[in-house]
Amino acid sequence: MTLQSIMTMTVAASFLMYLATPAGAHHSGAMFEPEKTITIKGVVKEFEYTNPHSWLWVTVTNEDKTTTDWGFEAEGPSTLFRNGIKRSDLKPGDVVTVTGRPLRDGRPGAAWVKAVKEDGRVLQPRVAPVTTAPAAATPAVPASAAR
Amino acid sequence: MNNAKNAACLGVALLALSALAPAGALAQEYRNSTEHFEALKRQHKGGTKMTADRLPDWTGIWTRAPGIGLKFDPAQPSLQQTTAQLTPEFAQRHKEKLERVAKGIEWDPISSCIPPGYPRWLTEPFLREFVLRPEQTLLINEMVNDIRRVYTDGRGHTPEEDAYPLWNGDSIGFWDGDSLVVHTTQLMSGQYQRSQPDYTDQVETVERWRKVDDNVIEADVTIYDPPALVKSWHVVQRYSRVTTPGLRIRSWVCEENANNEVFQTKEGATQHVLPGPGAGPIVKNKVEK
Repeated sequence: MTLQSIMTMTVAASFLMYLATPAGAHHSGAMFEPEKTITIKGVVKEFEYTNPHSWLWVTVTNEDKTTTDWGFEAEGPSTLFRNGIKRSDLKPGDVVTVTGRPLRDGRPGAAWVKAVKEDGRVLQPRVAPVTTAPAAATPAVPASAAR
Repeated sequence: MNNAKNAACLGVALLALSALAPAGALAQEYRNSTEHFEALKRQHKGGTKMTADRLPDWTGIWTRAPGIGLKFDPAQPSLQQTTAQLTPEFAQRHKEKLERVAKGIEWDPISSCIPPGYPRWLTEPFLREFVLRPEQTLLINEMVNDIRRVYTDGRGHTPEEDAYPLWNGDSIGFWDGDSLVVHTTQLMSGQYQRSQPDYTDQVETVERWRKVDDNVIEADVTIYDPPALVKSWHVVQRYSRVTTPGLRIRSWVCEENANNEVFQTKEGATQHVLPGPGAGPIVKNKVEK
């Protein structure tokens, strides 16, 4: 299957509440677009489950057949774990559709909002309530709804 | 006679109320943190003689109560509206900081992996753990393995001739029943949080920590910082129990992934270096080729 990148810039008001502090760990989030989101589809190259931020690297095949590695930043392992995201959930080769707030300077990086796996599981790094168990995987989402 | 009886009753009631009042909520204003702490210590006759079997149970994993974000005072209506009564100089500094942030120009000193320092420590996200012993309490934040030690063995602060600025200051305290009263001095300057006001190296605090119920631990904090605050700043911080199955507090190393390295631009903004997948740890002393 040839992967096609889906790149859409949208204003996503529904995400703004939990995107208010996307880079809470150790740096300002001002380098990311405050209101725009981007969605790409690609193959997981590496999932860096690290502090102070984790990075999900996804290789996207562009329309001219070149590839670009996109990096999506989230908080560190304990925050991901509380959101039900384990290191083993995203393996190299997995196909994912990822939404994030892109870097203002246009480089292929973004603050991770959500990743949707091929089986429809949605991985959102910043939504877990504090005093309850992590949210269970949400129901399958059609690819068109992931934009 | 009746008046005398009523007055006596009122006096007893006021005394009882003052004993129940949190550290920072007393109507009385103190000139500085030392006067405040010493008054509380006198009020509680030096504190409860604590033994291991009488310590309250604060076990578990905790985190700052949800929905507060970067606000230092949870009671603030927004990140932009501080409840601190700032001196003109520090109010101007805060205003200019917010104007820069609105333009996307923001640099956080901890971006270079230094600790946040206290009192900012109170607001850092992530996991917390509280280890209680009769002679000292460890207040632990997962982020950069950051520990505050509160000595409750009766010692005083480090003498002035031995003192030097500390990230989390020098903390001594006493137990008032199940509440831990803490006095912290010898701090470094910093900011209460991103988009929040700055504090100076004269900042000092008096805290009262207690477990409100099985799922909430509360810190009632009064902050003194004469160059920055017109009057002491009283805030209440709450930490909620985290119940995620299988969750453990791990070592937290800031430099383990070079993709997290950021730099400050000429305008003062923050920007990623972003070397890409598989970058490895941040290497600050690179070998010249």
